[in-house]
Amino acid sequence: MIDIQLMGLLNATLQAATLLFIAALGELITEKSGILNLGVEGMISVGAVSGFITAINTESLFLAVLVGVLSASAFSSIHAFVTVVLKQDQTVSGLILTILGLSLSSLIGKPYVGKKLEVKLESLIDIAEPSNIFQVLLSQNLIFYIAILLMIFTAYILKKTMFGRRIEAIGEDLKSADSMGLKIAKTQFIATCVGGAFAGLSGVYLTLSYVPYWTDGMTSGRGWIALALVIFGGWKPYRTAFGALLFGFLEALGPRLQTYGFEMSPYIVKITPYIITILVLVFLTIIKNGNTGAPKNIGIPFFRENR
Amino acid sequence: MNKYILSKKLYRNELATFYSFLIGFLIALAVGSLILFIQEKNPFEVFSLMLKLSIGSVNSLSNSLNKAIPLILAGLGISIINSVKLWNIGAEGQIFMGAIALNFVYINTSINNSQIYILLLLVSGFLGGAFCILFPAITKVLFGVNEIITTLLTNYIVFGLTIYLINGAWKDPASLNFPAAAYVSESVYLPTVLGKLSSGFLICILFTLIAYYIKDKSVFGYEMRIAGGSELTAIYAGISAKQKAFFAMLIGGGFAGLAGAIELLSQTHRVSTGISQGFGYTAIIVAAITGMRPIGIFLVGCLFGALTIGGSVIQTIGVSSYIAEIIQATTLFGALVAQFFFSYEILKKGEND
Repeated sequence: MIDIQLMGLLNATLQAATLLFIAALGELITEKSGILNLGVEGMISVGAVSGFITAINTESLFLAVLVGVLSASAFSSIHAFVTVVLKQDQTVSGLILTILGLSLSSLIGKPYVGKKLEVKLESLIDIAEPSNIFQVLLSQNLIFYIAILLMIFTAYILKKTMFGRRIEAIGEDLKSADSMGLKIAKTQFIATCVGGAFAGLSGVYLTLSYVPYWTDGMTSGRGWIALALVIFGGWKPYRTAFGALLFGFLEALGPRLQTYGFEMSPYIVKITPYIITILVLVFLTIIKNGNTGAPKNIGIPFFRENR
Repeated sequence: MNKYILSKKLYRNELATFYSFLIGFLIALAVGSLILFIQEKNPFEVFSLMLKLSIGSVNSLSNSLNKAIPLILAGLGISIINSVKLWNIGAEGQIFMGAIALNFVYINTSINNSQIYILLLLVSGFLGGAFCILFPAITKVLFGVNEIITTLLTNYIVFGLTIYLINGAWKDPASLNFPAAAYVSESVYLPTVLGKLSSGFLICILFTLIAYYIKDKSVFGYEMRIAGGSELTAIYAGISAKQKAFFAMLIGGGFAGLAGAIELLSQTHRVSTGISQGFGYTAIIVAAITGMRPIGIFLVGCLFGALTIGGSVIQTIGVSSYIAEIIQATTLFGALVAQFFFSYEILKKGEND
């Protein structure tokens, strides 16, 4: 039996998961270095709008992705500058990054609301109605595969390379890392900008493939779900990917509940992912007894007393 | 390579937060001008129009102060919760919940004395806001669940609930193209005191003083500070840090809920999506920029209220209202930069040995 509906659900799950996962993976790298960046929502938005505008004006997908990624990364450098160089409160700075990112992208995106894309990220292989899992996988677009590569790459870098071990050392124990002569500010700055670049890629995926158009507030809390995902994944790339699939499934399931025979108001369906995110987060914190595996120095600015 | 070293200043200027705010505001105006300039608008013209239409007459000034009410109340709530070093990103949802709770009580009760009725409705708004943060508060104190994420996600849930109610059970058949609940009776409108200025502003002044008292003068505020400062000290002093955190969160949520109730009784007169236009998020900026000081929140709230009104009126000359939001957010970034120079000094190596 081939269930086209089921394959449709799987396809929607993978797409929603890709979007969440890339942003979460970026935040994971940032947080590993001890920097908490609550600006994910704003960075996704900046990446989404700048990618969209570039795609409309140049009709080049490559340029659109590049501009989206770079602009979100540049935008995240504000947070890096304020928290790493100036040692200001990371929570405040990150929150404002979100507010600024959303208003800035609304401002520059205004003339582009409702415009139609001439180019769009296409599936690798065009399959009209995928009938098995492999066809669903093959019908994803390039960014889906990039996300998988990024996951493997990030897990490898964090665990097996000197750069990754340095990031982890800084996130876990600033004083020892400092006495070992690690360049804390430089590493944290880079980790923050990499996180921004990932969020930008996620934003580009949103406007060039997932939706694809631009409207105000279209990130609709996905940046915050990505933040929850990092906690869910215990700061581990593979577990974060699993979490992204779970949350992606919930997002994809919502609008389909009615076709499966559940009588639910569409307005209530819309808020189920948020309710479930909270419940999962609570459940997870309980079973881990508060020890979530967070980097120990997260949120603490580094300041070397000059003795 | 390291020729310069960073040193924490021993004494911080008492007015550092105030100066930082001023510097931040100037930086934000500069950034705003730059954006306007790129959009081929004359910044001086736009800003003077904003100024004129936000504080130039009794009417526009009262509009500005009306807008300041939710910013101030939600900001005060955030500052109370921050006394225990916790964050409330859910003020936006609490504002909506305040309005929803008010409407719920309004539909199910009837009191002839309108003054008592208004009081009851305001109280239910406060309780609605407190109810909205109840789940994040319980999970925070019992299990240590990250309150930033739970309060934030609550916003989306409450907003969804609002849309559900005004399209379903509470839908006013008379309002066709804009879904909203039915209007409340005119007898429970908050009276105006001067021009269009709502008496909610007086409540706002009162609650600023209450917040100041709670935070800075009361035993509870003192205990909150200890609970938020050091777990060990709290244990030593026999203070239950969890209990303080719990009540701080409920009170803070209640402040934002009250903001929603006042907004309903003085501005929208019904539950709709217009109850809050991002007030809960702007309130975070207001609270953070003042270093969580109630009196500062009141003053900056008034300024940001004027900015919001200024931002909405310049749309008529084709300037995006988002410029006001950008100025508000950039002010805080600018203030953070300035804060650095008030807290640290850069010394040449060997100077301070």
